[in-house]
Amino acid sequence: MSLLDVRNLHTYLNSGGEVVKAVDGVSLSIDKGETFCLVGESGSGKSICALSIIQLLPAGIASHPKGEVQFQLRKESGDVESVNLLALEDTELRKVRGARIAMIFQEPMSSLNPVFSIGEQIVEALQLHNPEMSESEAKMVAIQSLEQVQIKSPAERFDDYPHRLSGGQRQRVMIAMALACKPDLLIADEPTTALDVTVQAEILQLIKDLQAKNGMAVLFITHDFGVVAQMAHKVGVMQSGRLVESGLVSDILRTPKHDYTQQLLAAIPENLARPDDSLRLFNENADTLVSVTDLNVWFPIRKGVFRRVVDHVKAVDCVNLNIRKGSIMALVGESGCGKTTLARAIIQLQRPTSGSVKIDDQELCGLSEDQLRPIRPRMQIAFQDPLSSLNPRLKVATTLIEPMTAHGIGENKDDRIARAIKVLEQVQLSEEHLWRYPHEFSGGQRQRIGLARALVLNPEFIVCDEITSALDVSVQAEVLQLLLEIRQQSDLTLLFITHNIAVVEYLSDEVVVMKSGRVVEQGLTTSVCGNPQDIYTQTLLSAVPRLNLS
Amino acid sequence: MTKRQTIGESYSKQILRTAFSGWGARIGLTWVLFLAFIACFAPLIANSAPLLVSQGGELFMPVIRFLTVQDLVLMALFIMLLLLWWLPISVATKFWIMAGVCAVSIVVGLSFLSPPKLIIYEQFREQVAAGVYDWVVMPVIPYSPSDYLRDFGDTALQAPSYQGVAAHYMGTDSVGSDVASRMVHASRVALSIGFIATGIAIFIGVIIGGQMGYFAGRFDMLGMRLVEIFEAIPVLFLLLAFVAFFGRSVYIIMVIIGVTGWSGYARYVRAEFLKLRKQDYVQAAVASGLPLRSILFRHMLPNGVAPVLVVASFGVASAILTEAMLSFLGLGPVEAPSWGGMLNEAVKSSVFNWWMAAFPGGAIFLTVFGYNLMGEALRDAVDPQLASKAGVVS
Repeated sequence: MSLLDVRNLHTYLNSGGEVVKAVDGVSLSIDKGETFCLVGESGSGKSICALSIIQLLPAGIASHPKGEVQFQLRKESGDVESVNLLALEDTELRKVRGARIAMIFQEPMSSLNPVFSIGEQIVEALQLHNPEMSESEAKMVAIQSLEQVQIKSPAERFDDYPHRLSGGQRQRVMIAMALACKPDLLIADEPTTALDVTVQAEILQLIKDLQAKNGMAVLFITHDFGVVAQMAHKVGVMQSGRLVESGLVSDILRTPKHDYTQQLLAAIPENLARPDDSLRLFNENADTLVSVTDLNVWFPIRKGVFRRVVDHVKAVDCVNLNIRKGSIMALVGESGCGKTTLARAIIQLQRPTSGSVKIDDQELCGLSEDQLRPIRPRMQIAFQDPLSSLNPRLKVATTLIEPMTAHGIGENKDDRIARAIKVLEQVQLSEEHLWRYPHEFSGGQRQRIGLARALVLNPEFIVCDEITSALDVSVQAEVLQLLLEIRQQSDLTLLFITHNIAVVEYLSDEVVVMKSGRVVEQGLTTSVCGNPQDIYTQTLLSAVPRLNLS
Repeated sequence: MTKRQTIGESYSKQILRTAFSGWGARIGLTWVLFLAFIACFAPLIANSAPLLVSQGGELFMPVIRFLTVQDLVLMALFIMLLLLWWLPISVATKFWIMAGVCAVSIVVGLSFLSPPKLIIYEQFREQVAAGVYDWVVMPVIPYSPSDYLRDFGDTALQAPSYQGVAAHYMGTDSVGSDVASRMVHASRVALSIGFIATGIAIFIGVIIGGQMGYFAGRFDMLGMRLVEIFEAIPVLFLLLAFVAFFGRSVYIIMVIIGVTGWSGYARYVRAEFLKLRKQDYVQAAVASGLPLRSILFRHMLPNGVAPVLVVASFGVASAILTEAMLSFLGLGPVEAPSWGGMLNEAVKSSVFNWWMAAFPGGAIFLTVFGYNLMGEALRDAVDPQLASKAGVVS
């Protein structure tokens, strides 16, 4: 009898008279000490599936017309009883949740209560499930569990509030809280997606170690096949509410049987066919298009009544770069390292504190907004978040045509519309999309429109600020391929900001690695990724979860 | 959230559709539209002059002789608004058409209309009684608001009656004028105070608040101090002082409520713009080298104006209440009847005459309630999370 046995689970979500079949007949089983990974793209129902198991969905909205979830419930007395979680009373469920099945969530910033110290929160969880436990006893167990998740000097951090902890530390506290009651099953819903790769590597290792020590089962939800390869014993691939394929991790990753699994695996940047050399324009002897010299962007820290400047946050600290014509330069680094600030400073969306940025010998720093306006079309930017990168009040046509009008591109309105259609076709959209509003598009389509907006002005240089990181892998693969094609058609130079090393290796000619505002290493992608010199680059590269099965 | 998106529907239309899909907002809107209709066509609804008479085979419209330019403009605008509502043209074009209609009707009114200074209200009734006309079509309420003399033997402080030639649907007040007629004409003051005072406040608030939010830094600091100064002004006492010195004009009251009320809107717009400034599409607009005017008013304002409209609908309600309060204190505008003033009269008389308190009081209540209902629905539509929590919209 396996620990958790989900049989033919159906979860329907009711909203406004419509029924969404979020989970549509999923069967899986997890044994003790085993890790089951649920993979799938956004909206495939993997989170809903996990929430159905632990019964955290709002009762008024979710219903389970079919299926059962059998869980081997370990009683206080030591007996084991098989219960159907879907049919359990609320009071009974509360004894299972947290005590026997624990859950950790994706967003470490919002899953801890900011008004209680981390210690209090763990103690509360402990005492809830072990009412006979005394205050001092609970505190001791809490400190032990903090120690277990490798929080340094746990006794002192016990009274710290969540805001004093970094994202990785908060996720550790969440795990400590989840594990404090020694659950038999841990459900981890994308626990590392919001974290940097080096932190992700630590957390994954931690979960593995704890699992080996406590012998608990883990249901791990992720969209990253690299993580799957590292964590899972068994894996299930979900697509629109159905489990299309499941089995041992090595079988699925090596010889996927279902079409969808094959598609997903083929779309991972590491597996994408390297673009042939006809799409590459890189030439080591090409002229420099953008040159950045001693660039600083400092934000003042003010204190006291008179708002005296006491110190600076050095977001970009003395950076030198040369971007050659026709090259794709990747800018990598972890969150908060200043890569976005640097990119914005280059195209003068953020005014640098000092230093110089030149595009074709035209100095940009120190120009007024009016002087910059005629130069603006030469350098454009595409953004990360498909939700906020387009003005929700304007039709695509207006978004595309207004910049052209402002810069006198095209003779009249018809001419501009014709040009907008041409650019839309370049990003694989069509004329009908011109007359729609942004909310009518999917995330991938919006990113294309964002690219189109940059392209209508005939730029020479485009900054792509994490344009694929909010997208699913298959959409990401399409956008990356599209980007290479456009680059070749329009003779563009790109600065591609990302934290995804696989994308860097796929796309870029040169790479720049940043850490706390400084450039630690730069050079050709092949040499930096193949033979990193700096210690930080080495850590970063080794932390990337690889789909390496050999 | 359910998917009810139609192709090519703009965000603002979507908001309005969501807001007015609930019954509360619909009731509020119906009442306000009804009131707007009554206010615009007041002279045709309540007037001592007949709408149409036939004298010896010839037709006259005596009511036209008494129309003012203001009446003509209001009626023309209301009719045009109804017509334009259904036409599929852009909002800007509609605005210019409305402005054109406004100008034309002012010119027409100034050149053709010349209402007499002195109006003898009973002249038509006397002529009707004398049998001069073949037939007469009277307005629904056959009395002007300041028609005090009654030639049918009616008295002051008469309770509502529906029989006979001297029917007074809402009774008469202490000087003998018809309460229903005064109610109809007073709706003009109430609505115009609400709209114009709030309009002035929004105009100033959006301009100052928008710049505070966009430029931030020192400009923002100075702007916020200005906001705080204006928030420290006791509006009621300022109004009382102005009314005492400059006379009881409805326009002064509008301007003062508007000029002192912008600080709240400025705060809202500032907060929205501070947030929007860092949005990717605004950054993209800057990167595209668009002019500042377009960035501020095309890319930022439409996205930040929704919460302002919500506050505005509450603001209209509070402006109406302020005017009613002033009038109740006996300091309201003299030139026109107002609901607050009518309440004041109800209190003054020695006996409690329920009809003099109930009708104007009820009208104030319904109007303020209607605006608040709409404001609430708009707020929920703007913030869909709130809507699903409160369970207001579908």
